[in-house]
Amino acid sequence: MNARPETVFANSDLSDFGASRREFLKTSGGLVLGFSLLGPMAALAQQPATHIPASATGAAQSLPAVDPAKLDAWLAIHPDNTATLFTGKVEQGNGSPNALAQIAAEELDFPFDKLFVVMGTTTTTVDQGPTYGSMAVRYAGPQIRHAAAAGRQVLLSMAGKRLRVPAEQLTVRDGVVSVVDAPQRSVTYGELVEGKRLDVTIGATGKTFGMKVAPDAKLKDPSKYTIVGTSVPRKDIPGKVTGEFTYVHDVKVPNMLHGRVVRPYGIESDLLSVDESGLRDIPGFVAVVRQRNFLGVVAKTEWAAIKAAEKLGSKLVRKGPTDGQAKWSDWQGLPATPDDLWESLRHASGKVITVANRGHVDAALHAGAKTLKATYRTPFETHGSIGPELAIADVGKDYAKFWAGTQMPHQARRDMAELLDLPVENVEVTWVEASGQYGRNGLEPVMADAAIMSRAVGRPVRVQWMRWDSHGWDPKEPPIVQDLEGALDAKGNVTAWRHHMWVPTLTDTRLLASELIGKPVGKVNLGDAAIKYEYEFDNADVVAHGESRVGVITAWMRAPGQFETTFAMESFIDELAAAAHQDPLAFRLKYLKEPRAIAVLKAAAKQYGWQSRPSFPGKQPGRKANGRGIAWVNRDGSRVATIADVVVDRDTGGIWVKRVVVAHDCGLVISPDGMRNQIEGNIIQSMSRTLHEEITFDRAHVTSRDWVGYPILTFNEIPDSLEMVFVNNSAEYPSNGGGEPSTCPTAAVIGNAVYDAVGVRLRQTPFRKERVKAELDRA
Amino acid sequence: MPKTIHLKVNGKQHAVAVEPDTMLLYVLRDQLGLHGPKFGCGLSECGACTIHLDGAAVHSCVLPATAAEGRAITTLEGLGSVDKPNPLQQAFIDEQAVQCGYCINGMIMTAQAFLDKHPNPSRDDIKQALNRNLCRCGTHMRIVRAVERAAKNGRQSA
Repeated sequence: MNARPETVFANSDLSDFGASRREFLKTSGGLVLGFSLLGPMAALAQQPATHIPASATGAAQSLPAVDPAKLDAWLAIHPDNTATLFTGKVEQGNGSPNALAQIAAEELDFPFDKLFVVMGTTTTTVDQGPTYGSMAVRYAGPQIRHAAAAGRQVLLSMAGKRLRVPAEQLTVRDGVVSVVDAPQRSVTYGELVEGKRLDVTIGATGKTFGMKVAPDAKLKDPSKYTIVGTSVPRKDIPGKVTGEFTYVHDVKVPNMLHGRVVRPYGIESDLLSVDESGLRDIPGFVAVVRQRNFLGVVAKTEWAAIKAAEKLGSKLVRKGPTDGQAKWSDWQGLPATPDDLWESLRHASGKVITVANRGHVDAALHAGAKTLKATYRTPFETHGSIGPELAIADVGKDYAKFWAGTQMPHQARRDMAELLDLPVENVEVTWVEASGQYGRNGLEPVMADAAIMSRAVGRPVRVQWMRWDSHGWDPKEPPIVQDLEGALDAKGNVTAWRHHMWVPTLTDTRLLASELIGKPVGKVNLGDAAIKYEYEFDNADVVAHGESRVGVITAWMRAPGQFETTFAMESFIDELAAAAHQDPLAFRLKYLKEPRAIAVLKAAAKQYGWQSRPSFPGKQPGRKANGRGIAWVNRDGSRVATIADVVVDRDTGGIWVKRVVVAHDCGLVISPDGMRNQIEGNIIQSMSRTLHEEITFDRAHVTSRDWVGYPILTFNEIPDSLEMVFVNNSAEYPSNGGGEPSTCPTAAVIGNAVYDAVGVRLRQTPFRKERVKAELDRA
Repeated sequence: MPKTIHLKVNGKQHAVAVEPDTMLLYVLRDQLGLHGPKFGCGLSECGACTIHLDGAAVHSCVLPATAAEGRAITTLEGLGSVDKPNPLQQAFIDEQAVQCGYCINGMIMTAQAFLDKHPNPSRDDIKQALNRNLCRCGTHMRIVRAVERAAKNGRQSA
């Protein structure tokens, strides 16, 4: 029950919807929403259902995919002159609904505050590909822009007929069409559409990211933009700060039970036996679900499920494979020491990708006046969503329905169909926002857990991971090791550059539960390691050894691979600049030709007030030393340069990042405050990764299974100031990604600033106090 | 065996049947339908479940429901609503101090209890007050600005 009066949503506004929408209606008719601020359609767009009466169990239905060539796949206009935008992209806390709605409202000449967004749900949205890789605005933006522009043309033509004038004599403002010379003759979009679906073919070719929608639509001249490029408040925030917003964690389905998983003791332990004694004494306990190495419990209440799972062995600290009533084999296959891990990476089999091969690196190294060599290391990291992973599954004999916060509902639908041996058409994923995920956390794997448990008990099951399930078992950003070599001539010019990196797979999408039951679903190695080589040296040898496996499931985390490769590349160029006694900014600019790269570096320097000088001019007196660092990245076409000031405490090894300046070129910025929010988030989160984050493990499993074992940045460590400059923010430069790029330079920036302060080079993250102190003591 | 306990939540009395060792968080979320407090860790480490107990910020994930009997429980819903947010909630809206928002319950409940006792805090005081609340999106700068704004508005209206 919600604290606020509930609004019953009737389906009258939508009664004329077509095929793909009919099912939408079936589930939304009689839908009870805990949100009454906005009109019914608005509420529907804003808020997913908290109580959904439709149950999948036993209901055989077949749902076709939404047809992107139809206008109603993207847009619905309602009689009260509000509208709904449908998109297969999802919100992960990045504010992308705002940006996508701004693009649509702009092309439609429609008020932003009356346009609402429905995201992700497989029965109501087009598969525009997963929401990852800073690609929502970049790829879905133009698709939505074209669909909305086509919609405007359709509506204008309807208005021309209604008002009996040629469409050329009409003008639109805020969703009201009027005759140019006779503004009193007007009609609203809502009056034109009369609650009907927009059953008009606008055309579409291709799939997901590459899909082209309404290719012939006439687009608005960007010089006339009034909505794109403005900061509009996010519509989700009032609900989120008052407890009225519905996260997937808040969804309740009738007849729903609560599940918890009991993971193996070791990564590859086998389940030997389960002693169920005492479980039935827990009030509300329903069943143990056991299938090969998959183990879970189902109960009527969360508390009963938690207690039952704990008895079987689900707890923060497990003393051994037989600690708990479930007994596991004593698997001890992980590397014995961190050094073994680093060494194993170099020998793991994988694909070799040549990024650059120019000139004669060996000869140039040999002939160099000065040569440098360094190895950079970055650890396993976890996504660490504050809300642990959760999904609800309702699996019937020939149909399955999910409520999930996945970043890829359409792909997850296909994966669930494969797992459950069901036709894709008989699987439905209702997307509901989760806690921020920053890549592939466990939001897809937990759907498999819920599916297996729901199938076993024949009722909807809500499975939420415990903190240790999330930290212990979500797919991890892999450890990466990188060797660099460089040579300088007598004048301090770079004559050789070698960068070899070992990057385990960033794209292992195997679902853990599917592996545990012995029916693997998911793929390994969907793409290459993310490396970009930017500097123009005469002799260069850059090679990535990619795609190896490292014991646990590894998958993408914000700016996957490139956070780490930028750390190595941008630290090592700093090492060369320091060895050449040259200013690190000027040194970089000598080897860059690309104008947008140069522009962000110069813009950051200007905002910062950069004075040219070599790094580490000498030892500073006193306990605390100040330093500045610079680094930049080109992530998939978005360029970011970051400069930071740090204070290093020589007695403790503590690093405080005091001031951060970011120059950001992602082309045209749709929603400036949203972009700033993203950049702040990237900087703070990547500071956290740089200073604190590292997964620890013993030979059996991950041991950093909570926030004590895996600390993240706290309020006392935030900078005094974080300044941002947008570069090339204009329509000549199409909007590129902004969800990740500013994560990339941070580790190098901080490492370079620490060098500037104390003359010590940090080559392994995290820069925890103890490690920094040890390096200071060694120097 | 379930036991009926009486809880006063956001000014209203509720009789709920609970297992005696059930943590208050699950009673609030699952039995009373209050979604302000969130499950984050169950270990009193992240603050997502923060509520007020007699005006003090506490972690409801480790507080047995029975221990809250006879005390005044306030959740995020008790501070204000979308129609009528309280001044601190309004400050979060004004600063757009949310990304995914999952931690925000803890931020607001902790900051409100703090501001009630320290209406004139420095920025460092605010950071210290929030230091045990974790945010993964990196919204810290905005959250601090929102609390500063609420404090400033409070001083002006006082």
